[in-house]
Amino acid sequence: MSLTDWINKGRLKSPWVVHFDCGSCNGCDIEVLACLTPLYDVERFGILNIGNPKHADVLVVTGTVNHRNKTVLKNIYDQMPGPKAVIAVGACGLSGGVFREAYNVVGGVDKVIPVDVYVPGCPAKPESIIDGVVKALDVVKTKLGLA
Amino acid sequence: MLEYLVFLLVVLPVLSAVALLCIKNEGPRKSVVIATGAVLAFCSLALFAGGSFQLRPQSMLGLDPDVLVTGLDFALLAVILGIAVKLKSPLLIALGLLQILPLGYFEYSFARHAAAGPSLAADNLSLIMVLLVGFVGSLVCVYGLGYMKEHEAHLGLKKTRQPRFFFFLVLFLGAMNGLVLSNSLAWVYFFWEATTVCSFALIGHDGTQEARANSVRALWMNMLGGVAFALALIAVYKASGTVLLSDLLAHPGGGASLALLAAFFLLCFAGFTKAAQLPFQSWLCGAMVAPTPVSALLHSSTMVKAGVYLILRLAPAYAGTSLSSLIALFGAFAFLTTAALAIGQSNAKKILAYSTIGNLGVIVACAGINTPASIAAGVMLLIFHAVSKALLFLCVGAIEQRIGSRDIEDMRGLIAVMPRAAALTVAGILTMLLPPFGVLLTKWMAIESAMASPLLVLILALGSALTVVFWTRWAGLLLSAPMPAAGLVAPGAAVQAASMRIPMTLLAYGAVLAGLASPLIYRSLAAPFVSLFYKGAAYDVSAGSFASGAGTFSVYPLFLLLGAGFFYALRLARRLPARSASAPYLCGEQTGDAAGNVFRGPLGPVAATPANLYLSAICGEEVLTRWINVIAMTMLAVMFGGIL
Amino acid sequence: MTSKFLLALALTIAAPFIGGLVTGIDRKITARLQSRYGPPIAQPFYDVLKLLGKDRMVVNMWQALCPVVTLTASALCVFLFGMQADLLLIFFVLTVGGVFLIMGAMAAPSPYSQIGAQRELMQMLAYEPLLILVFVSFSMVTGSFKIADVYAYGRPLLPQLPLMFIVLGYALTIKLRKSPFDIAACHHAHQEIVRGVLTEYSGPNLALIEIAHWFDVALILGLCSLFWSTSALGAATLLAGAYFLELVIDNVTARMTWRFMLQNALGVGLALSVLNIVWQSFNN
Repeated sequence: MSLTDWINKGRLKSPWVVHFDCGSCNGCDIEVLACLTPLYDVERFGILNIGNPKHADVLVVTGTVNHRNKTVLKNIYDQMPGPKAVIAVGACGLSGGVFREAYNVVGGVDKVIPVDVYVPGCPAKPESIIDGVVKALDVVKTKLGLA
Repeated sequence: MLEYLVFLLVVLPVLSAVALLCIKNEGPRKSVVIATGAVLAFCSLALFAGGSFQLRPQSMLGLDPDVLVTGLDFALLAVILGIAVKLKSPLLIALGLLQILPLGYFEYSFARHAAAGPSLAADNLSLIMVLLVGFVGSLVCVYGLGYMKEHEAHLGLKKTRQPRFFFFLVLFLGAMNGLVLSNSLAWVYFFWEATTVCSFALIGHDGTQEARANSVRALWMNMLGGVAFALALIAVYKASGTVLLSDLLAHPGGGASLALLAAFFLLCFAGFTKAAQLPFQSWLCGAMVAPTPVSALLHSSTMVKAGVYLILRLAPAYAGTSLSSLIALFGAFAFLTTAALAIGQSNAKKILAYSTIGNLGVIVACAGINTPASIAAGVMLLIFHAVSKALLFLCVGAIEQRIGSRDIEDMRGLIAVMPRAAALTVAGILTMLLPPFGVLLTKWMAIESAMASPLLVLILALGSALTVVFWTRWAGLLLSAPMPAAGLVAPGAAVQAASMRIPMTLLAYGAVLAGLASPLIYRSLAAPFVSLFYKGAAYDVSAGSFASGAGTFSVYPLFLLLGAGFFYALRLARRLPARSASAPYLCGEQTGDAAGNVFRGPLGPVAATPANLYLSAICGEEVLTRWINVIAMTMLAVMFGGIL
Repeated sequence: MTSKFLLALALTIAAPFIGGLVTGIDRKITARLQSRYGPPIAQPFYDVLKLLGKDRMVVNMWQALCPVVTLTASALCVFLFGMQADLLLIFFVLTVGGVFLIMGAMAAPSPYSQIGAQRELMQMLAYEPLLILVFVSFSMVTGSFKIADVYAYGRPLLPQLPLMFIVLGYALTIKLRKSPFDIAACHHAHQEIVRGVLTEYSGPNLALIEIAHWFDVALILGLCSLFWSTSALGAATLLAGAYFLELVIDNVTARMTWRFMLQNALGVGLALSVLNIVWQSFNN
């Protein structure tokens, strides 16, 4: 195995997550945090909720994007060093959900930054969020040309 | 030949100073200062090449030198008394009289004190001091040329006061050379008083109310030392029948009589005042109101170094006494407490001042520990500290002229504004703080040589840990700036005048190279001095490592490995592509401004203003100073009482 | 001499693996203590490999410079330990690493990194005196600061310096960034003001700091083992016991403030040291 192979192995085994609440009702946020509890224990897969985009590999976004926080979302995405992936969680993150038509809402996350995996639900279940992260790893794999 | 060299080193600065007093134009002043500096540096090297010597000048200006010095001494004291009368200060007048009367008694009763023996002498310690004065002192004077021009432009003076400034500055170098080359304590006393007067004139140079007040404080504290010195002259002569240092040190380790020990205490007391040891630290802290070259000179190669020079010089004479162990404790205490005080300071010059007092405290402690290893440590620290501290003061002066503040909080991100000065400051800080540089090497030597006394080791070790805090945060905040868009150095960066830039750069190279040359410095400078008075080698220096029974410090391997790491890192950092630049993390709310610390707030931009932790509830001057002074005075009293 | 050099070199190469492995076991045991399954033992290595492969992102060039110097210093410390060199020298080289880590963090104007750097300074202020006191106590027993003389002493130091072992435990807790003293940054997922002193280091730079941390872990464990230098089994038992206790403390305590840390670590640490040193000097 070359060093690149080792590094690629590391990339798939250690997705560090930064979670950004873009204006969610907190339903999805609680489910994201539930993933850390002993019941789901995402650290099994090397997933850490790292809280700092500069350290993160995966951006998990919950909630609708509005005109106030779209720049924040963009800034956080830009401050993540590549390779990176984005997961939109919950109905609001996917499309704007029930707030879609509101005057101040931009829409789903993909209106501002490229989204790799969409996790539906209102709120999304912890299982599906974990599944989303695993899917995101597949996306990373494809991006790296490993798939 | 020797006489000419000594003449050039001591009297030439006086003549140059008089010339500088008369010169009103910048061009000739520049040439005189640079030429004097060059001659001093060259002569100090030549004197050093000749090795140690003893000399009795037969006549000077057609007069018996002893008579001449005595006459000048009284003249100087008369000047001091004149100053005291002019200032209408009863304290100063009393202190002045307290010096003239004992001196008169001394000269009258023991007129033949100089009848025999060399009045000038030099061993390696003196030669090291002469080298420091010749190189570091001269560089500081050259720096003064560029600095004072800017300084006076800033003050908006109509008539330049530079002749007066350079008169005292250059005179200082001569007085310092005289002090360290004198063998007769009576001569040392004369030069001692000369440095007191010079520092008084220089501290008060700007003539502001604060400057005057602080210069008066410096004067009375140093006169207190002068009184002790004058009394010591009598006591030494009465106890031993000689005032020649070479005679006093002829039998090192031989138990000194009580009377002689009391005299040594008085001399050490004088040394404590001059070296601004606790509780006399306030004069040195106050001295920073003076233009920066003065601070640099006072802190690095002259004035305070005269104090520790005397204490180190006498160390063999009081070896093995309880006075010696108390002096060790006294110095170590100063090191620990000034490190704590420096943590509480954001004023750059005060941080430097406390660090100076602390490092002098280590030298005093080394003298008190009084083993070959510790004396070697003290002598070497004298050198390393002079170079690094001069560099730091010159940097702070240059920075202050540009940003108009000496508060380290105002120096945040200075690397973008003054890249060269900031980088030199960081270099100076690292040479003060980290291995493998000299200051740390000597600290290691000091701690290990103190091993016989756990209390001493404890204090020195704690102090050493405290120093990390105030140096690190200063170095760190200088670098605190986002990467400039084009290249590493922002356009429009400040450039100092050549007369300021060159001394700073030379000193930085000097500080680094001195660290690299520490085995050489030990072998050729410190060890020969130590072996004059102490039996047994302090360290076994081979392959660039200092080894003793207590431990090993590998200078060359450390330089090699840490240096390789540093230069690899520097190369890596310099080759970073511009695209790797990223704004500091501000929760995604950054405004994208150049400073990199402004949040986008709901009502407009909000700048985050970080500040250091100064622990002012613990380390503040107002909290600590009183207690420290009480303890220090108690220690002095115990020292004196212990002898009697 | 040559064999010593080779041993030191081997130790320096092995140290990051030892440190990484210890960190992996640490994470596994911590997870089990929290009734979680936990990551694989090799997880720290995956993390660092991944970080090494990420794009470089820095606020300024100092952020790239400092981690390399920190890593050099930490590796050098382990090498010096292997050479059975001077304890004080190792201490001073360790300071180089800490100082550059802080300088790099302060070089970024972000407030989180700045606060983290200040707290890291407070941590240094708390553990440095303790570490140096431990070394001083060694020198009082063995008569020198050389590690070689600890091994040459022929008896375990623990019976003579029991309190100093506790003092070293304090230093260990702070240096390993364990609760209640993980105030400048911490491992695991629970963050401290974003990531404290590590906030602005990312990708390969963070990887270098992590590797430097592994070296530090190996060094500190080595220092602990000096308390029972006569028997490999004894040293291993001592290390395992001390580290497990460390994990329990980490899991049952909450993060405290830097004021608490300074008062507690310095107050208790200094008191225990003075007691032990005084007792020791009467014994001699």
